[in-house]
Amino acid sequence: MNINRELLTLSYEQLQWLSPIAILLVGVLFVICVASVFNRGSKQITQWTSILSLFVTTLSSYSLLDTATPHLLFNGMLVLDKFSYFFFIVFNLSGAATILMSDRYLDLDEMNHIEFPILILFSVLGMMLLVSSADLISMFISLEIMSLSVYSLVAFRRNDRLSNESGLKYFILGGAASAIFLYGSALIYGATGSVRISSMLTAATVAQPSVLFALGAVLVVVGFLFKIAAVPFHMWMPDVYEGAPAPVTGFMTAALKAAMFATFIRVLIQLGFGKPQWNAFQTSIYQILWWSALVTMLVGNLAALPQNNLKRIFAYSSIAHTGYLLIGLITALKNQAVLGSTILYLVSYVITTIGAFGILSLLAKKGDTGLNVHDLSGLSQRRPWLAAALALFLFSMAGIPPTAGFIAKYSVFYAAVENGEIGLVIFAVLCSAISVYYYLRVIVFMYMRNPAEQATWRRPILTAVVAIAVVALLTIALGFSPSSLIEATGSLSLAQI
Amino acid sequence: MMSVEPWIILSFAALIFVIGLVGLVVRRNILIILMCIELMLNAVNLTFVVLSKSQSNLEGQMAVFFIITVAAAESAVGLGLVIAMFRTLKSVSTEDIQLLKE
Repeated sequence: MNINRELLTLSYEQLQWLSPIAILLVGVLFVICVASVFNRGSKQITQWTSILSLFVTTLSSYSLLDTATPHLLFNGMLVLDKFSYFFFIVFNLSGAATILMSDRYLDLDEMNHIEFPILILFSVLGMMLLVSSADLISMFISLEIMSLSVYSLVAFRRNDRLSNESGLKYFILGGAASAIFLYGSALIYGATGSVRISSMLTAATVAQPSVLFALGAVLVVVGFLFKIAAVPFHMWMPDVYEGAPAPVTGFMTAALKAAMFATFIRVLIQLGFGKPQWNAFQTSIYQILWWSALVTMLVGNLAALPQNNLKRIFAYSSIAHTGYLLIGLITALKNQAVLGSTILYLVSYVITTIGAFGILSLLAKKGDTGLNVHDLSGLSQRRPWLAAALALFLFSMAGIPPTAGFIAKYSVFYAAVENGEIGLVIFAVLCSAISVYYYLRVIVFMYMRNPAEQATWRRPILTAVVAIAVVALLTIALGFSPSSLIEATGSLSLAQI
Repeated sequence: MMSVEPWIILSFAALIFVIGLVGLVVRRNILIILMCIELMLNAVNLTFVVLSKSQSNLEGQMAVFFIITVAAAESAVGLGLVIAMFRTLKSVSTEDIQLLKE
């Protein structure tokens, strides 16, 4: 009965491993207390305490980053390894950046409620638990902690019809995706007798996995494809992105996608890839992902071409980037040594989108308007720095050197060619060529059109400027000297547990 | 005592799940769509319980308690969103939603 003892006690060492999650949990509760004690005049205090707790969590994850072996906690429900700690840092920093950039945007519509930072904190907590869960049930629960907060964030502009509709739409389709994922977990449980993902490995690597298991695994994969908005499960994404408040859209594109992808990688590795010989089951999962990557790139890039709303453009471009990331994922399944390039792509995409949406939140007018391409006409004359930064982020998304996006794309495509995915890479490069059109179109409007007579943009506040400047510097710095991040991501590996 | 084969209940649960999924796509009333999500989650619960019983392993029954809790939280948030939408839209039908193009 040693299992029970382990469940009831946490040694000092285990508590240390758990400290980022524990700190953020205490932080959220503290922020709630602060918010209710100071009641209404407490926006500033709530924001700064939230940012403080996110930064402390980042520091604590950073100090644990040199963890060598994975630590299993709570009877194998959570696994804390270098991979999880690395992503903790990504989630916390993007949460902090979102709060910093959203302040003025929320003030405009008089909806700068104390709940905003609290919901961001809760969803970051859910992401942290999600990426470190080693059990399909804890994965489901943390997925819901994350998603429920984000559903409310999407509908945060509660007097606005569009925001409510998109929140509800996201809720319905997200709920369906969770249910599909859960049904898959139930079938896997039936086939393996356990909900731990460690038991999936033994069931998946036999010559002929049982039908129950295969069906369950496919449903779990479909659930994930839904959440990362891969075609053919992408229909919800543009509408939700358009209706959500701009900072929330940025948070979803960056942190939410990173969380889902990281967890997806963890689950897929556990399905027994990484061995030279694949059985029929693994081959079919591979084929699902291969076709999904192909169609996702095509649909994302083509559908972005006629769009005029910036948020919609970024939504479709986000779908296209999901396709590129799926190429990285497929390559990592063939050869786990190149997992680092996929993570590099994920990180540089997170940095770029956080910056781009930060600028969109600054440019948005009252009622979330003013985000059409035409509204940006002549931005470079009125707000040259913002225009330059947005242009930089667009170049990074398009993958033009010397930006982080170029390095990321280069390393993913290079790894894919090395591992025999030449056809997919050629297709991806063609798709990126298409994508340059809609990115450059925005830049053309910013730099080569004259501003309308009455066109003005608010003066950005200091905190947002600092946040955007840091993100922009990171984008350029990674473009010029990516070696440190390549090294950091390259050292991340996912052991099969 | 009469016993029921597990596969009968499993296929029953699968049927409920499919009904929920189809209802989600076909129905136009948001409250019914919320019920369909609950139906899907409860089908999963039933599957977990049957599989847990047939393997005499308690992990699945533990999972059910968590799922029930999460489902309750989910419907609380969902109904909150419906109310927020009803305030601005004055309707609970997805046909009145401009954005929803399911």
